[in-house]
Amino acid sequence: MIEAAFERGRLGRVAAIRLRPNQDLVEGVEAACAEHGIARAVVRSGVGSLVDAELAYGRGEGAGGVRVEGPGVEILTLAGEVRPDGDGRPRAELRGTISDPDGRIYGGAFARGGNAICITLELVLQEWLPEAQGAPSPAGTAASEEV
Amino acid sequence: MRTLQQPGAALEPRRLVARGEVGEELRVVLREGSDLLTGLAEVLAARGIADAAVQLTGGGFSSLQYLTGQPDASGRRIATYGPPTALEGPVMLVGGNAILGRDAAGRPLLHCHAVVVDREGRVHGGHLPAGVCIAGPEGVVCHVAALTGVGFRVGEDSETNYSIFHPAEA
Repeated sequence: MIEAAFERGRLGRVAAIRLRPNQDLVEGVEAACAEHGIARAVVRSGVGSLVDAELAYGRGEGAGGVRVEGPGVEILTLAGEVRPDGDGRPRAELRGTISDPDGRIYGGAFARGGNAICITLELVLQEWLPEAQGAPSPAGTAASEEV
Repeated sequence: MRTLQQPGAALEPRRLVARGEVGEELRVVLREGSDLLTGLAEVLAARGIADAAVQLTGGGFSSLQYLTGQPDASGRRIATYGPPTALEGPVMLVGGNAILGRDAAGRPLLHCHAVVVDREGRVHGGHLPAGVCIAGPEGVVCHVAALTGVGFRVGEDSETNYSIFHPAEA
């Protein structure tokens, strides 16, 4: 039997965000969420540029990364979510694709502290609101669990 | 992490945030022959939608141009766009994100970045300019989250020396 983890919930309010230059993409999204009481959210759209990019891939011994030099690295696609860490602080996991000034395309997870905004990031996040713990659920599924 | 000195002084706050709601969710297929940037903005405006978060999820183009960033040799800005790269169709959409808002005159404006595959299987991507990204026979498929109470408006940004989208209550 295939196993999966479920978290029931609904989408809530949106936040339209602009990150100004030179702050890190991941840390900037986290700070915006912390400043506005957003604990969990999903990226609905994001468009922007980076000074340089640092993308990570893999895990453990197989983990790697690539640094892409700009300036003017274009964020082509951006997807991901924000969830609380063990201390309840918003933590962003953002993945996507970029193009360098020569038009080469790269993809991966945006590494924390490695992606300074060049001109701007225009971002729409929508809050993800899990059902309360202990809410009734169909047999065999969990209404809410941290995954 | 390398940072670069912008032409203007750093403005506060460093993060601009405006809150609102999603009013309507739409799946939109822009028909063959339509320009993506102007066409999508026009059809959404006709439905009374001025602000939206857009995901490009399918379809392709009969022709497309895109721009990538480069250092600005004039020094007026940190970075600018290079000359356009033109692709002859069919060009398949891999994915894209767009923000619909309004320009300084209040007209609809779509800011779109996308990844595509050309007819030789090469991957391309960048900023999509208006007027030159023409939907192919299968159209361009978009998922649109129309925003209410919040949107993006173009404003002069003295820090970067650009006119760019800023969040605004709508």
